[in-house]
Amino acid sequence: MFKAIYRIAWKDVAGDLRRRATLSSMLFFAISVLVVFQAAFEPDRKEALRLLPGLLWATTLFTTLVGLGRVFQAEEEDGAFEGLLLASVPRGVIFFGKWLGNLLLTLLVEFLILPLTMVLFNVDAWAHIPAILAILALGTLGLTGLGTLLAAMTRGARSRETLLALLLLPLTAPLLISGVQAVAAILATDGQVAPWLKLLVIFDVVYLAMTPWAFGWLVEE
Amino acid sequence: MNILKKIQPLVGLATLIALAIGLWYVYQAPADFQQGGAVRILYIHVPSAKIALLSYLFLTAASILYLWKRYEGADILAEAAASVGAAFTVITLASGSIWGKPMWGTWWAWDARLTSMLVLLILYKGLMVLRHSLDDPVKGARATAILAIIGAVDLPIIHYSVVWWRTLHQPPSLATGENTAVHITGPLLPPLLILSVAFILLGLYMVTVKARQIEARRHLDALEAARMHHDE
Repeated sequence: MFKAIYRIAWKDVAGDLRRRATLSSMLFFAISVLVVFQAAFEPDRKEALRLLPGLLWATTLFTTLVGLGRVFQAEEEDGAFEGLLLASVPRGVIFFGKWLGNLLLTLLVEFLILPLTMVLFNVDAWAHIPAILAILALGTLGLTGLGTLLAAMTRGARSRETLLALLLLPLTAPLLISGVQAVAAILATDGQVAPWLKLLVIFDVVYLAMTPWAFGWLVEE
Repeated sequence: MNILKKIQPLVGLATLIALAIGLWYVYQAPADFQQGGAVRILYIHVPSAKIALLSYLFLTAASILYLWKRYEGADILAEAAASVGAAFTVITLASGSIWGKPMWGTWWAWDARLTSMLVLLILYKGLMVLRHSLDDPVKGARATAILAIIGAVDLPIIHYSVVWWRTLHQPPSLATGENTAVHITGPLLPPLLILSVAFILLGLYMVTVKARQIEARRHLDALEAARMHHDE
C-alpha cells in the first residue's frame, strides 16, 4: 500500500523534476508575488519583519494554486485518469499518492521561497528558519490535502483555475490565520506558539482524514 | 416532486400571515433607549442570519442524502437551498453593515461572526459555480454535494479559529462573549420570535419555488437532449 502511494507520487515528482514544468512555474510565480508585495507595500526593515508571516503564507497559498492546477495534468489525456483508477489499490491510496507528489513539490518550493523572501525583504530572521519551515510544512500537509481533492473535483471544469481559487481560499481561512499567527509568535520570541500549532494540527487531521473518502465518492461510477 | 406543488400555496399563505403579524409587532415595539429606531433592523438581521445558517444545514443534509441514496430530489433541494441561503447571507451582511455604521461607527469589523458569514457567502457562491462548470450534470451534482459536506466541517473550524484569533491576538473589538451579550427581553422579544418563524417559512417557500423551477429546467434540458438525439 505504501509502495503504491510512493510509486504514484514518485511518477509525478520525477516526471516534473525532469521537465521542471510545475516546479519552475511555481517558483517564478512566487517570485512575482514577492515583487508585487514589495512594490505594493515598500516595507522598511522593521515593517518587513512584522509583515513576514503574512507575506510567507500569502505567497505560499497563491503558489499552491499554481501547483494544484497541474496535479492531474499528467492524467488529462488518453483516459489516463481512468487507467489510474483501475489500479488494484483502494481509491484512498491513489489519492494519497497524488497528494504526496503535490506535497513534495510544494515543500520544495517553500524551502526555496523562505530564504529568498528574507533576502528580498532584508529581514534578519535567519535563526528562526528551521522553526518557520516546520510551521510551513505542518500547514502544507492539510493545505495540499484539501487542494488535491479540489483539483480532482474541478478536473475537466470550465475555467478551472479560477474555480480552484474560489473554492480553496475561503476553506483555508483557519490555516491562514493559525499559520500566520504561529510564525508571528516565533518571530516575536515571547509569543504563544502552542495554540496555533494545535489549530494547524486539527486542520491537518480533519482534512487528511476526510479527503481520501471524499475522493472515493467523487470518482465512483 | 408533486409534494412541493401541494405544499407551496400553504407555505406561502402561512409566510404572509406570519410576516404581517411580525411586522405589525415591530411597528408597535418601543424604540430602544440607546439605539432609537435603528434597533428595528434587528428584526430583519437576526432572522436572516438564522436562515443563512439553517439553509446550509438543510443543504448539507440534502447533500448527504443525495450521495447516499442517489435521490435526484435531494440534489434539486440542495441546489435550491444554495441560492436561497446565499440570498439570506447577503441580506444578513448588508443589514448588519447598515446597523453597524450608526451603532459601532464602522461598516465592518473582522470579528468571528462577520468573518464566518463572509466565508459562508463565498462558499455558497463556490457551490453554485462548481455545479455549472462541469459538463456532466451527475458529476457536477456529486462534486457539489461533496464540497457542501467539506464546507459543513470547515465552517465551525473557521468560526473557532477567528474567535481564537481575536481573543489571543487582541481584545475583541466588539462584545461577542456570553458575559457581555445583549439580552433581548420584554416587548422586543415577541416580534423577534414571530419574525424568526416567518423567515423560516419564507425560506421554505423560496426553496419550494426554486426547487420546482430547477426541476422544470432539468426536465426541459432532458427533452432538449432527447430531441437532439432524435434529430441525429
